[in-house]
Amino acid sequence: MTETALTQDFLGFGLGLRTNHFDHVLTNRPDIDWFEVLSENYMVAGGKPRYYLEAIAEQYPIVMHGVSMSIGSTDPLDMEYLTALKKLANDVQPQWISDHICWTSIHGVNSHDLLPLPYTEETIKHVAERVVQVQDFLGRRILLENVSSYLSYQDSTMDEWTFLNAVAEQADCLILLDINNIYVSARNHNFDPVTYLNKIDPKRVQQFHLAGHSDYGDYVVDTHDHDVPNSVWELYRIALERFGAVSTMIERDGNIPEFPALEQELQIARDIADKTLPELASQLASLNRQAQKQSSKTGVF
Amino acid sequence: MTSLKQTQALFMDYILSDKESDAAQGDKFSAFSSIITAKSEEDGKTRLGIYASAYRLRLIETIETDHEILGIYLGDELFDKMAQAYINAHPSSFRSLRHFCDALPQFLSDDSFFSQYPILSHIAAFERRLLNAFDAEEQPRASFTELEQLAPEHWPESQFRFHSSVQIFQCQSNAVESWQALKNAQTPPQPDYSIASAWLLWRGEERLTEFISLTEYQLVLLEGFIKGNTLAQQCELMLNYFDEEQAPVKILQAIRAWFEMGIIRAIA
Repeated sequence: MTETALTQDFLGFGLGLRTNHFDHVLTNRPDIDWFEVLSENYMVAGGKPRYYLEAIAEQYPIVMHGVSMSIGSTDPLDMEYLTALKKLANDVQPQWISDHICWTSIHGVNSHDLLPLPYTEETIKHVAERVVQVQDFLGRRILLENVSSYLSYQDSTMDEWTFLNAVAEQADCLILLDINNIYVSARNHNFDPVTYLNKIDPKRVQQFHLAGHSDYGDYVVDTHDHDVPNSVWELYRIALERFGAVSTMIERDGNIPEFPALEQELQIARDIADKTLPELASQLASLNRQAQKQSSKTGVF
Repeated sequence: MTSLKQTQALFMDYILSDKESDAAQGDKFSAFSSIITAKSEEDGKTRLGIYASAYRLRLIETIETDHEILGIYLGDELFDKMAQAYINAHPSSFRSLRHFCDALPQFLSDDSFFSQYPILSHIAAFERRLLNAFDAEEQPRASFTELEQLAPEHWPESQFRFHSSVQIFQCQSNAVESWQALKNAQTPPQPDYSIASAWLLWRGEERLTEFISLTEYQLVLLEGFIKGNTLAQQCELMLNYFDEEQAPVKILQAIRAWFEMGIIRAIA
């Protein structure tokens, strides 16, 4: 990483850590570069989730991904939530923390969904100010992820990519680019996903998400319960060409297969990246050397 | 132009409205659909419907997951009736779905239809306790040896601190027996409200949630220690159940078992 780079070094290829894989991961120590955990699932005092998280965090880099920051809500920021998030980050020492550029709750009621925002100057100002407050509180930059959406607002005055870039720039935060979400929204709103990729500011993109969806013909719904389809792999390849080596992970939240099936799917991402970015092989070799050094220090091998 | 605050209020009003039971649902749809872009009314309905359905499905899934056995006890039709009514009565105010069903036992005991079957509320309450034990804070556990090593003169004033996963569940029915039957894929017994039962739930050292039934004296003993009673006070209390010779023996048996179960975290 150069001194001026905003983003962290390439972390490799990761998976979402899910409860049904806890034992497999601890027992078999699969060859995964890192795991992403859903922050809210571990904001509990103890029990199985915390036990496994702590044990797995000793062996793998962890990234925290949240769904409840509700950064775009007009409710005040939930300081209780942010305090719990900060505490979890202190315990887990994640590589980074991310959430979504959306809103989830208003008037104290939580939709438990990632609801879209109107893309206006008012919203940019509102969201950016709140991101600054969050980053000040957490003492670190956060990543914001583009969400899948099924509706758009008459009041929107710009494209989603313009909005995302503007918030990231004004708040000085980073971007988690969900390639599947770009595909889903492009289909639902009839825009070109490649244009989206080409318009996003590369210097702020720190992570990619990959996932599957449900295609209903006229609409595509972001369900995370299928394998990553070819359309998303193709978009991933184009994203690699534009953004270079970006830490990549696959999200699977429904119809979750056995762990080896996800490893195979992640291998597809590695293969596409190897083919698209020949220089990635040397970065990965360096990453492996670092990991081995770290492992010998901690006596894992 | 609609302010961001208004936009979010209209969106949430629409999501929360239930087309089956909310007479104003049509107005809420119209109000929100007037600020979105859609090719046609049908297109608008579909787009909004994706969010409304996702909201309900996510909450129904949460109830199913947290209250699996209650769901089996009710059957699909009644479960759906309960889930829809609960979702309408209790929009989630929690950031984590883990707590969405916290009010379900009370809801079942208050609702005019479901309150006719008190065992439902008891089963739901039991399942909440299991969840509480499941993700309670991990704490160290004390061993019986620590008590044995205590000088005899300190025994009477000894108190015990319990593991955070310890839960006591009491109900006036055979709810737990019914829960167990269904868990083992057996037909549950008919509801029996003549039984007052008490249960101790905890998470063991192997991180498995366990539970056992408590007799009346065991319940009194456990509650007394949890309240902070000393060993001497508890011996006195047990004289209500046993004679002077038996009382200390029974207490010692109980305490030894608790240490073995891993529910005592410290001797104070």
